[in-house]
Amino acid sequence: MKLQTKLSLFAAAVTIGFLALFVGLLPYLMQRIAFQNTNKTLIQQRNKVLSAIKKNGIDFYLEGDTAYGSYSMLKDEYISLEPFNDQSVSGRLQTAQRIIDRDTISYRILTDTFTVNQQPYLLEIGKKVTTITEDGIALQKNTSYILVMLAVFIIVVQLFYTRYLLKPLDYIIRTRLIKRTFPFKDPKHPLKTTTYDFSYLDASIRALMQQVNDAFEKEKEFTSNASHELMTPISILQSKLENMLMDPGLPDDTVPKLEDMMRIVNRLKKIVNSLLLISRIESEQYTFNDQVSVKRMVREVLEELQHRIIEKGLIINEALSNTVTLHHVNKDLLFQLFYNLIHNAIKFSKSKGAITIKDQTENGVYSIFIIDTGVGMNKNQLERIFDRFKKDQYQREGFGLGLSIVKSIADYLGIKITVTSQPNQGTAFDLQFSRAHLEQ
Amino acid sequence: MRVLIVEDEKSLAAEIKSALEKNHFNCEIAGTSKDALQELDNGSFDFILLDIGLPDKDGFWLLEELRKDYTDVAVIILTARGQVEDRVRGLDAGADDYLAKPFSLLELQSRMQAIIRRKFKLNDTLVTLGSFTINIKNRTVHYQDKEINLSRKEFDLLSYLILHKNRPLSRMQLSDHLWGDNADDESDSNYIDVHIKNIRKKMNAYAPTDWLETVRGIGYKIKITS
Repeated sequence: MKLQTKLSLFAAAVTIGFLALFVGLLPYLMQRIAFQNTNKTLIQQRNKVLSAIKKNGIDFYLEGDTAYGSYSMLKDEYISLEPFNDQSVSGRLQTAQRIIDRDTISYRILTDTFTVNQQPYLLEIGKKVTTITEDGIALQKNTSYILVMLAVFIIVVQLFYTRYLLKPLDYIIRTRLIKRTFPFKDPKHPLKTTTYDFSYLDASIRALMQQVNDAFEKEKEFTSNASHELMTPISILQSKLENMLMDPGLPDDTVPKLEDMMRIVNRLKKIVNSLLLISRIESEQYTFNDQVSVKRMVREVLEELQHRIIEKGLIINEALSNTVTLHHVNKDLLFQLFYNLIHNAIKFSKSKGAITIKDQTENGVYSIFIIDTGVGMNKNQLERIFDRFKKDQYQREGFGLGLSIVKSIADYLGIKITVTSQPNQGTAFDLQFSRAHLEQ
Repeated sequence: MRVLIVEDEKSLAAEIKSALEKNHFNCEIAGTSKDALQELDNGSFDFILLDIGLPDKDGFWLLEELRKDYTDVAVIILTARGQVEDRVRGLDAGADDYLAKPFSLLELQSRMQAIIRRKFKLNDTLVTLGSFTINIKNRTVHYQDKEINLSRKEFDLLSYLILHKNRPLSRMQLSDHLWGDNADDESDSNYIDVHIKNIRKKMNAYAPTDWLETVRGIGYKIKITS
């Protein structure tokens, strides 16, 4: 899940949670506030009553009765005065039920006592509770609508702000990280943001990319320069040896020595040539404008290697489609790729073994398989087969650059290459071409 | 034939000169573009072997310069910069051929011979070996009017030996020519023997092939007494 989605969801959840809690608690809060207000009103009313009694005298209200009671028409409020013998009650507030006019109603009641002419009286002032609760529920309903709208508003604002805030991160991911091909093309302009963390992150990533690019460039340059520099002395050596070999007066026993030297020079030449080839591929010096018939090219490679196939008594099962033409490839590079793979298959095959070269098209993906019945490889060898200068116990010849070249070519031409192998069973190379290779 | 070797690496130029002079080419050496132009003004040349990486001016510049005045001269570019676009650029600028360093002197001479055949219209495409006629251009081998079928590699081998006639070529030199960069010295040179055996077998059916000699300890040569 993306950071922005997580943050938005969290903000929405928190907003909704808190607002829901508030709405849930509203009746209770309302009740508390209402009770407190009622209490205040009841105390004020008690004071009013006491001052009225003080002013008018108790008899004004008792009108000859022993007690006084009165309630409003809707029984929302009542007041009662009666003689009382216990002095312990004073200013008590409670919620209790009273029967008024055959109706049992819950009231918030203030109970107090006062004394007039040595006669203690009990005063009760009550206010109906349901009205308080109903007010609470009504308020809760109305508030809920407002709060839902408020929640939506807050969530939308948060969403937009989070989006705005995280835009730089999105930009960094989109432009610096997603679908980056190596070597990184010149990094685009620095990110414009006021958020320090993002500008720091971006600057760090760009600096890292630059470092990686520089290191890669240096390595490429070194390979290329070293190869070129080596070419001249190798050329001179080779020419000198060739000239010596052409000398008709050369003693017989000198020839094999010169041949040995030629062989060593050749070996040097091959290593340098392979490194040059890799460095040229890596610096993208080859074009992709060729069209190649797979079958014809593989046949050419097989013809080139015919003598080795015959020597080992190998059976070649070539079952490639006649009709497949690959587009947007480089002929020379593709030839080298097939040559190295088939050459390897021959080299590591047991004599009288078989090599299968076949193709298939599945879900629009065209693949070519080169399968040998050779010595195969274990897991460790398989992991390192594309590394330069890595040789294993089976490699009696070569310099460990053949498959490294194959990998460079495959990467360059956009061919996916997978290898499966079983020791003593054989190895299978699977070359997967993209749709673009099949379209003109 | 006169050859101008434009190469700043003195010892390499000297080796090329020594090899070509054995084949009766007359060679001059120029180490810079300036010297090369001066040499060209002083006398006419049939061939220029041109190194691209010259100390004063780019070899391509020199190629364009000399093409203005000397249209007939054959130019082979020699360079350590084997880049594809260099090759294309060189051929576009009027070079006749291209060799990437390190090249074999025999290969250089083969290329020169091919240019001589093509450019100077020297008709040596038909070669007589004992009772056989070999057509280098059409890649055919005839005994009287019977065609003998040689494989591609077999014919390449035979024509290479013909080109360097009367000179023993080692198995390695031959395999280098046949398989180029992909040659495997350790084992491919043994295949030369196989090919030679096949060539002899196919041709011996019609007439002796004593012109194809085995040179002990070295390799093979074709003897043509002209």
